[in-house]
Amino acid sequence: MDTLDAQTWLADHGDYLFRVARRQLHSDELAEDAVQETLLAALSAQTRYAGNASPRTWLTAILKHKIVDLIRRSVREVEIPCDADGEEAVDLLFKQDGHWAEPLRPWGNPQAEAELGQLRRVLDECADRLKPVMAQVFSLREVAGMETEEICKELGITPTNCWVLLHRARLFMRQCLELNGFSKAGAA
Amino acid sequence: MKWLSTCKETSVLASRAMDGRLPFADRMALRLHLAVCENCARFNRQLQEMRRLFREAATTDDHAAGLSAEARQRIATGLQDKSDT
Repeated sequence: MDTLDAQTWLADHGDYLFRVARRQLHSDELAEDAVQETLLAALSAQTRYAGNASPRTWLTAILKHKIVDLIRRSVREVEIPCDADGEEAVDLLFKQDGHWAEPLRPWGNPQAEAELGQLRRVLDECADRLKPVMAQVFSLREVAGMETEEICKELGITPTNCWVLLHRARLFMRQCLELNGFSKAGAA
Repeated sequence: MKWLSTCKETSVLASRAMDGRLPFADRMALRLHLAVCENCARFNRQLQEMRRLFREAATTDDHAAGLSAEARQRIATGLQDKSDT
């Protein structure tokens, strides 16, 4: 066992790991860092790799931790936008009296009607338009399926901050998906 | 207290309900509002649809763009350096 294995992992699984990381980190640069750190960690830990999981499964498990590490670092670098930041954008979606400013349009069946690749592109583009921390917390919750408590603990933010971020992220994502062709007459 | 929460308040409750069990009073307020408001009921359904779509997109590999040649080279060099030390 030596670097040969790590180079093979890079060749065989590098693209896959990058895509998984990209989808949660919403940044090419951070996703590249995540892949690099994963392979370096794998290289130091390879004696512990018992070989009873496939390399991809093993590497993906390491990657998950690296993704959370990177998000934790980027959360530290920016103020969590729990105050005015984003609040105004939320206000635009509602009238003064708290009603929706615009009626919500029904979505068709995006899965059936759009090609999966097209759907993915819209999901990624909309997530990339959120503020990075918001997109990352949203992805940990909705893409990776982490529990809110776990996210708060890992990132060192309060549950209230977490809920505020998720609420805003969901409002903006929904809006973005609607504007990008999810709305269809006559369905859901 | 108003007898019915606003749409804005309801959007907060609907979002929180996606992340865990709401306290009883909030749960009732949410249910009541969703029963009478078409927009919020739709919002609530779309939150769940959004989750389903994201999870589905994440669990199937799309074979889209991977690492750039530069990044791949940089990582390969990093691995080489690490094993040389």
